[in-house]
Amino acid sequence: MKQGLRTFFLRHETILLLILVAEWCYFNSVGRHFGSLDNSFDIVRHSVEIGLLAVVMTPIILTGGIDLSVGSLLGLCAIVFGKLWRDAGWSVGSAAMGTVVLGALAGGLNATLITWLRLPPLIVTLGTYSLFRGVAEAVTQGVDTFTNFPASFLFIGQERWLGIPAQAPFFLLVAGVVWLLVHRTTWGRSWRAIGFSPEGARYAGIPVGRRLATVYVMAGIVAALAAIIYTARLGQAKADAGSGYELFAITAVVLGGTSIFGGTGSVHGTLLGVAAIAVLNNGLVHARQPREVGGMLTGLLLILTMAASVLPKMLAKARPTGHATGRNTQSQTNA
Amino acid sequence: MPPLLQLTAVTKSFGAVRALRGISFDLQAGEVHALLGENGAGKSTLIKVVTGAHQPDSGHLEIAGQRLTALNPTSAREAGIACIYQQPALFPDLTVAENIALRLGKTTPLCRVRWSEHRKRADELLRRIGADIDPGAEVRALSMPEQQLVEIACALGASARIVIMDEPTASLTQSEQQLLFGVVRNLRAAGVGVIYISHRLEEIFALADRVTVLRDGESVGTRPIGELNEAELIRLMIGREMAHIYPDRGGTPGEIVLAVKGLNCAAGGVRDVTLDLRAGEVLGLAGLVGAGRTELARVLFGITPADSGEIRLNGKPLRIGSPAEAVAQGIAYVPEDRRRHGVILEMPIADNMTMAVHARIFPGTWLRSGVERRLALDYIRDLGIKAYGPEAPGGSLSGGNQQKVALARWLATRPRVLILDEPTQGVDVGAKSEIHKLIRQLAQQGLAVLMISSDLPEVLGMSDRIAVMRGGTITAMLPGGANAHEVMAAALGQEEGNQGAA
Amino acid sequence: MIKRNFRELSVAVALGLLLAFLAVAAPAFYQPQPLLSLLAREAPALVVACGMALVIISRQIDISVGSQFAVCGVSSGLLVAAHWPVALVFPLAILMGAALGAVNGLLVAGLRLPSIVVTLATMVTWREGLRWLRQGQFVNLPDGGQWFGMAQTTGQITLVVAAVLLLVLLAWGMKNLAVGRQVYAVGSDAEAARLAGIRPPLVTMGTFVFIGALAGLAAMMNLAQSPQVDPKSGMGLELKVIAAVVVGGVAISGGRGNLWGVFAGFLLLACISPALTHLHIQAYWEKAIQGGIILLAVVADGLRSRRSNRTGGGAP
Repeated sequence: MKQGLRTFFLRHETILLLILVAEWCYFNSVGRHFGSLDNSFDIVRHSVEIGLLAVVMTPIILTGGIDLSVGSLLGLCAIVFGKLWRDAGWSVGSAAMGTVVLGALAGGLNATLITWLRLPPLIVTLGTYSLFRGVAEAVTQGVDTFTNFPASFLFIGQERWLGIPAQAPFFLLVAGVVWLLVHRTTWGRSWRAIGFSPEGARYAGIPVGRRLATVYVMAGIVAALAAIIYTARLGQAKADAGSGYELFAITAVVLGGTSIFGGTGSVHGTLLGVAAIAVLNNGLVHARQPREVGGMLTGLLLILTMAASVLPKMLAKARPTGHATGRNTQSQTNA
Repeated sequence: MPPLLQLTAVTKSFGAVRALRGISFDLQAGEVHALLGENGAGKSTLIKVVTGAHQPDSGHLEIAGQRLTALNPTSAREAGIACIYQQPALFPDLTVAENIALRLGKTTPLCRVRWSEHRKRADELLRRIGADIDPGAEVRALSMPEQQLVEIACALGASARIVIMDEPTASLTQSEQQLLFGVVRNLRAAGVGVIYISHRLEEIFALADRVTVLRDGESVGTRPIGELNEAELIRLMIGREMAHIYPDRGGTPGEIVLAVKGLNCAAGGVRDVTLDLRAGEVLGLAGLVGAGRTELARVLFGITPADSGEIRLNGKPLRIGSPAEAVAQGIAYVPEDRRRHGVILEMPIADNMTMAVHARIFPGTWLRSGVERRLALDYIRDLGIKAYGPEAPGGSLSGGNQQKVALARWLATRPRVLILDEPTQGVDVGAKSEIHKLIRQLAQQGLAVLMISSDLPEVLGMSDRIAVMRGGTITAMLPGGANAHEVMAAALGQEEGNQGAA
Repeated sequence: MIKRNFRELSVAVALGLLLAFLAVAAPAFYQPQPLLSLLAREAPALVVACGMALVIISRQIDISVGSQFAVCGVSSGLLVAAHWPVALVFPLAILMGAALGAVNGLLVAGLRLPSIVVTLATMVTWREGLRWLRQGQFVNLPDGGQWFGMAQTTGQITLVVAAVLLLVLLAWGMKNLAVGRQVYAVGSDAEAARLAGIRPPLVTMGTFVFIGALAGLAAMMNLAQSPQVDPKSGMGLELKVIAAVVVGGVAISGGRGNLWGVFAGFLLLACISPALTHLHIQAYWEKAIQGGIILLAVVADGLRSRRSNRTGGGAP
């Protein structure tokens, strides 16, 4: 029992929740309007896109992969959405559908290269990171922006629906679906197995290629959705939309306790990670600190949480293992 | 004269596990000292203490009468200790010459490496042990036995006084084994002390001068080899009298379940394999390492799909393109490399056991932890798996118990064909006979079992029929009563057999 | 020999073809002054690419180089603006880069944290910290400080020669010095390296310090070229050099590749943008084409290893 309590408090999610509560209390005492409902909704509004990317990045990192291209894909999708609506004369609804299809195709490109050619995800998505952003820039000649969307569309990004920000239901839906997939279905089990040992999963009869392809295609679709919400929130689509978002998404996932080596982690951890970053950034503004401090502290927070998760283990068993691989920590005990 | 190596009361713990509980051990110059023990007896830890990879918690270590403190891999090497590991610890991306140079070269970072000399040196060392390997070849292109020979060349080049060999023959062919034995005898004649670890008793009787047996982190005795016979050695190892008895065969095999005709797979090196497997029989698949046995299993299981040929299951023709398809058809494969392929070490054993039956026990892809737990508890009880519960991670179990978990995973698929690849490799004697009993039981329940094994007594003791592979194809089909000589002759082929005898 | 260096040679051939094509289609590309300016502008990135090659060969990655570059550039710019002698600022910039690299090294080698996340974190931290302190202000350098007081052409030649010299020295050292082989060994198999008496954490630490120092050096080389220092400088530098390294045939999984390939890969990517201008293709396509080339390079690697797996047989 005592052991259980101790593991509960040492759980990554618990620590993160405490940090989040501490952040909330501190900023509430410093900033005058921080605790207001309006501001809370503001936080939600500003973190939905990054939140979507982080949630969908979680299964990718669980499989031991990574997707650096989601931010660029968000930009490309925003542009294509604008192009379809303004230049091709599609309705907002069909343009949105077209954008989602494009997202799925782009995710499919990553998936194909990663599963069919067995290339490392880091380098494949580095290539598509450049490619997607580059195509977005090429299509707009670097200057074209799309504005004057109809108010009914901007509603999604700027208004309230049933008293909550209108984009929140989309986010909750995606987060809920991904949570169920990761934690309650055999898909999530397979993703973890692949993250721990791709070969082991293959020998267990798990269709590794198909399972891996799913997470990247899913990321593409959600990136397209995030692009639409982003456009609705800002009322314009530009080629630089979402640049750097992939880093925030990865930070949130790792902050949320998902191991960058794959296998362990949770979607609710990621949600806490997103919240911790969003509250920090918003709170600093209310505390009259420049926005850059938020970015800096996010980076520091990431290093500190990682060090905090590693240091106790290192001190407990100071024994030599293969360095930098991070895996095989258990395999030595049987030697 | 002081012994070459003297360990006195060495202890070493990892957390709560006491791997070594005060071991004393000595090695004389010019002897081959065999180190024996079940898995987990502490052999690997002892080796790692001697090579400086682990620091002992207490006790001390003397080399040629000199007491050494704080040994690390570098100082151990300088003291003349060389180790040839089971899994060659070479750099796959570098050439043979570069590998040897890295091992033998000085570690002063800014010192210049003279490539022509290193190449010549590597060439000479490889020739001395009779290995035909190009020093310019990249190690990734070498076979496992060739890599081991490179390791031996490294040890030779370091003019080591103490050479440790950890299961060196595990992946060698017969003729390479003979080559290795020759190298070991040469080393002994040159006054080198050799610590030789092996599970194969016949090798120990052929090579060793003295034997030390470890059990549970303690030394249970050191004896000259002449004072021992096989039964006594086994008794020392397991601490109780136990002749290895194979379970009775019996029962008549049923109809043909798996029929393979003219199977080819260029990538796997399998050619023209024709084979029938009946319900209720154990078909032993013998052959040397590299004969294509594991490769055949990988083709049947869809890991490297066949290029041509026919596979029929219960008379129905099949195409197996991936493990998932094989599982769906009722073919199960318990792989040779347990730690990499058999179980996922980080995951609970319950998750491991249900991994191949997701579709059956989790309809609609929803996980059902109650069903999973019950299934795991059933197998833990039925197979006698020693673990603290279904949630214990696979890596926390001993080798034998991991093997049982791997087996449970495949039994849960209710297969019609069970392929076992080296089912008892690296498993201690007690667990070995339990696994044998289990295999027999499964066959009696009507399962068709294909058992790949390099352990000849096991093949002879367990099989109803024995198929022998050589060069990627089946060269002989022998009845269950065949003797070791017949199997070996078929495995070696005529020419090579003659060479080996000469 | 050809077989072993096939990957590097194919990049070199691609570069040769591009250059030959330019000679026919856009001879203006070869006018000495613009060409020299192009090379001088790219010299700092080449220096960083050398460091990145080492880091990737040792099976790590460093995406914080761009931020390191900016931090070193701005702080040495401030020192120069405060009339410190260049001879003193120069080593200080390198030291500062090495110190920033040491932070990465300590976290990666000391705490065994994954380098991609560590350097992601330090990248954000340095960049945002710099933005906070400088509020986006440029550092104006004193007049006459450009090219370290040399004539422009001499200065440009010096920079290019220095960068190439560094690359040649490193290429030689990686092949012929024990420490070079240790970097390959650690990237190839860290556990085997440890058993061979190499200390992988030290090597990892060393490569991170080294790339940091090179980022400092590159910042100084950049400083010499312009009248002011942009605190946003170096954004995207990490991707540019990683792309060059990967296109040049260094395996992202460590242990394979060499600096000659990196040189060819770097030049290939560097020539694209001016080639586009000379061919009258809009420059907006540059990023897309770079991405395409990276994908092409890794797809070629993937196809090659698929084929060799098929013929080589046996275990994956």
